[in-house]
Amino acid sequence: MDPIVTASDYKYASESSANAIPKQSMSNKYDVVVIGGGHNGLVNAAYLARAGKRVLVLERRHVLGGAAVTEEVFSGFKFSVCSYVVSLLRPEIIRELDLPRHGLEILPLDGTFTPMPGGDYLWRVNDHAKTRREIARHSKLDAEAYDEYGKAMIEMAHFVKPIMSMTPPDPTSLNPKGLMDLLFLGRRFQRLPAEDKYNQVQLMTMSAVDFLDQWFETDVLKATMSASGIIGTFLGVRSPGTAYVLLHHYMGEIDGAFRSWGLSRGGTGAISNAIADAAREAGAQIRTSCPIAKIIVKNGQAKGVVLANGDEIFANVVSSSVDPRLTFMKMVGEEHLPGDFADDLKRYKYRGSSGKVNLALDGLPDFKSLPGAGPHLRGAISISPSVEYMERAYDDAKYGRFSRRPYIDIVIPSLTDPSVAPPGKHVMSCFVQYAPYNLKEGAWDEKREEFGDTVVDTIAEHAPNIKDLILHRQVLTPLDLEREFGLSEGNIFQGELTLEQLFFLRPAPGWAQYRTPIRNLYMCGSATHPGGGIMGASGRNGAMQILKDFGKR
Amino acid sequence: MHDIIIIGGGHNGLVAACYLAKAGLKTLVLERREIVGGAAVTEKLHPGFRCSTLAHSAGPLSPRITKDLQLKRHGLEIIRPEVRVTALNRDGHSIWIYNDAARTASELQKVSAHDARSYPEFEKSFARIGRVLAPLLQMTPPTIEKPAAGELWNLGKLGLAFRGLGKKDAFRLLRWGPMAVADLVAEWFETETLRACIAARGIFGAFAGPWSAGTSAGLLWQAATDGHAAGPALFVKGGMGALTQALAQAAREAGVQIRTGVEVAAIKINDNKASGVVLTSGEAISARAVVSNADPKTTFLKLIDPIDLDPDFLTKMRNYRSTGSAAKVNLALAGLPTLPALNGSGNAAKLSGRIHIGPDIDYLEHAFDAAKYGNFSPQPYMDITIPSLSDPSLAPQGAHVMSIYVQFAPYNLKDGDWNSRREEFGDTVINTLSDYAPNLKELIVARQVITPLDLEQTYGLSGGHIMHGEQSLDQMFAFRPLIGWAQYRTPIGGLYLCGAGTHPGGGVTGGPGANASREIIKDFK
Repeated sequence: MDPIVTASDYKYASESSANAIPKQSMSNKYDVVVIGGGHNGLVNAAYLARAGKRVLVLERRHVLGGAAVTEEVFSGFKFSVCSYVVSLLRPEIIRELDLPRHGLEILPLDGTFTPMPGGDYLWRVNDHAKTRREIARHSKLDAEAYDEYGKAMIEMAHFVKPIMSMTPPDPTSLNPKGLMDLLFLGRRFQRLPAEDKYNQVQLMTMSAVDFLDQWFETDVLKATMSASGIIGTFLGVRSPGTAYVLLHHYMGEIDGAFRSWGLSRGGTGAISNAIADAAREAGAQIRTSCPIAKIIVKNGQAKGVVLANGDEIFANVVSSSVDPRLTFMKMVGEEHLPGDFADDLKRYKYRGSSGKVNLALDGLPDFKSLPGAGPHLRGAISISPSVEYMERAYDDAKYGRFSRRPYIDIVIPSLTDPSVAPPGKHVMSCFVQYAPYNLKEGAWDEKREEFGDTVVDTIAEHAPNIKDLILHRQVLTPLDLEREFGLSEGNIFQGELTLEQLFFLRPAPGWAQYRTPIRNLYMCGSATHPGGGIMGASGRNGAMQILKDFGKR
Repeated sequence: MHDIIIIGGGHNGLVAACYLAKAGLKTLVLERREIVGGAAVTEKLHPGFRCSTLAHSAGPLSPRITKDLQLKRHGLEIIRPEVRVTALNRDGHSIWIYNDAARTASELQKVSAHDARSYPEFEKSFARIGRVLAPLLQMTPPTIEKPAAGELWNLGKLGLAFRGLGKKDAFRLLRWGPMAVADLVAEWFETETLRACIAARGIFGAFAGPWSAGTSAGLLWQAATDGHAAGPALFVKGGMGALTQALAQAAREAGVQIRTGVEVAAIKINDNKASGVVLTSGEAISARAVVSNADPKTTFLKLIDPIDLDPDFLTKMRNYRSTGSAAKVNLALAGLPTLPALNGSGNAAKLSGRIHIGPDIDYLEHAFDAAKYGNFSPQPYMDITIPSLSDPSLAPQGAHVMSIYVQFAPYNLKDGDWNSRREEFGDTVINTLSDYAPNLKELIVARQVITPLDLEQTYGLSGGHIMHGEQSLDQMFAFRPLIGWAQYRTPIGGLYLCGAGTHPGGGVTGGPGANASREIIKDFK
């Protein structure tokens, strides 16, 4: 088996002082320096550049994209190393940045196939009638309910949609704009039909399983649907607050631009590249392999950044797309932060709970419950056979070990996009939960292979030939996600998406408006509203806030 | 002809009856059992031993109700021990929470300087937030559809009070509501037993573990009730039954007629309006309005013909979550058990509040794990009182009664049924407790095990849920029991709810009864 992701050379040059006298020259003064070339940083830069600002993006790694990245880890096999599907990329961003012209192509990822241990399966596809027949095979009542459910969820998604592109108001301030925004939300809720109010309240507060229990009786259907509610959280399918994420599956549909789930041709890195292209065209400069050591702060004001090599770059505004721990604790330094804000940042929960296993395959897996290389392999393959299975996977994580039988969300992008693997070969992306960042026993560096084996063994229970097909294996633990991709504690959303860390509480109470206590320092990553996933909304919202404040200068 | 029939003589039914009679309405209370009190009763456990069969502490009862109904004159005597909660630990490091924060802090000093520093601010913050939330308890939840001017005024006042909290507490309130209580306590304290003991209030009566999101709301609710995040220790001389007896006396004095041993079979409905009830004996009683103190599921799914309800409403009512997870074990003891955790010092005074068994967060969560899969906890979380310590009238000289509230005991068992597993469950409880009180078994004179099924069958609690339904965010305040029906009125004209299945929910507070009576009186005017 090939070596795994090597420990990164990621270092913060803490010895380089932010107080050093700047070697200022006209050529390195920018309007905005964007920290991090992930998709949000790039979206942020693109919007700022389009507004005529002089923008520089600095990326630590040799490749752009952050967690939305394609890398040829093994010769001939291109992995979407971290993030692997597109679902929530805001249509206004696709439109405004004209991403298709810059090479973005979304390919359909049709359906979810859930193999079951008893030899049965559940296979939902975009074809409505087919899915209905399939669900009816398990329960006639559920087939009826599925239609109703879809309609109700689309209504709910309509309600939630404008909140995504809104700057969260501060509910404790008497600022009239904030009050109007709150009133707007209240009125919107009030105007919902009674039935939708009921659903909305339930979605915001209930567990995914409790919510689905009201609609469906088929256990595997509830298990596989509820799985979307726990992705990237340290919660189980029965934890309150997980129902809300069920909506995300319907967000894409109402946008009409593309199917709710899709693959990007060339891997998720192609999305980042398209955005980068749009940013460059608008005049932004982008530099890779440029780790930042410090944000220069003087008199409570951000002035620029110091690179790891000691170079200083000055800017009117610093916009950080990396998470708050890196931005504030490492790059700014606690000494520059108000005590309360620092305390809030320390309370902000990351707690990564997932890992990733990428496989290079010599052929296609053969599932016991539905043999052959059928179209069921072209969609998502979800290892979520029962609610109890999902809940037990969570129980392991609660007590500090990775799930002995994890939830796995698998896609084989090479079936849809042959460009990512040599002819006849395939790449298989396995998102794995739970893999808690903090292990009770042992360390991730020692457990990496054991974790990889658990994932492969779990898949082999459903598709026994998988073990013979594996040519190469890349295992990413939460620790790897932290080291290699700068995601603190390996959280793929730059902080848990739980109710107490959403909207006006993200990432810190009172600092949900992309601004920070350091003047001219902004946040534009997933740690801000509306949060993670390849959505781009944080980057765009952050840019809007920066431009608004530029206007006030 | 009666103006009002109240179904169920639990404490909320009695509180409502008092207020309604005082407003001049001719009120009849019908209680299925031979004694009134519902889940707040004192019953004979064994010759010479009396015990609060179910609830073992007041919530507390709202002071306004105590005053309005002159309950002291009717014999109510509240006992308030200095210590609120004693959390036992197997290694001897027990934790005490007192009513007095300074005293708690000074005791904590022995365990952790950090926690001793944190505790006073923790309690103060909860007290401040509790004061802002307290008016909510006495408020009829607003309609969301078309709030009336008065409702908007009340909400406006609340909004101002919220802003008055200042940024720090205001954001705390917003953050804490949806948070897992395990996270909340970890932000404040480092001592596991202290964390677990505070967190326990968040899962009390809930089908949730400390890692379940939203469990911090339980602490906020407790703070709204009496300013503390920890469970209250407020006993009644003569047991909890003495409280409901005082209420019954107040009711009778106000002119309420109370009949016991009569079970309502159905609510009579004509033209979508309640016109009275029919008893299981066949007797029909008419009234201008019917008020149900029974839980929502019993009321709508058992006492009303489905034909009289909208199918949509019925579906929602069936989905109202009320699967209980609590049980009770009551013991008559020949003497006070020896607890090594107390190091022999001042046993009696130190045990006079609640006794918490659940030494760490993982213990509580493991206890909950079992319930998720349909088993009772092999090592349950327990909330214990020994009321005879502060009220010797409950047991013979030197002997004691011990009331053990046990979680988790899921109503739906995966294997077997509750009637065949009752004693096995009782043994599990005693064995677990014996780890903390090694001589307990030798002292047991009599043991009563009350399973969730008993709670349903004997006390009429649907699903055995002691709160008349889960008190999760989606079933609270304006959503209790259902959104659109949180104002004590129902889709049937002249039919009201006044039990714990309405705002402000479970616990012996009298809140639902008092709030419901206010709405009913409004409608009668």
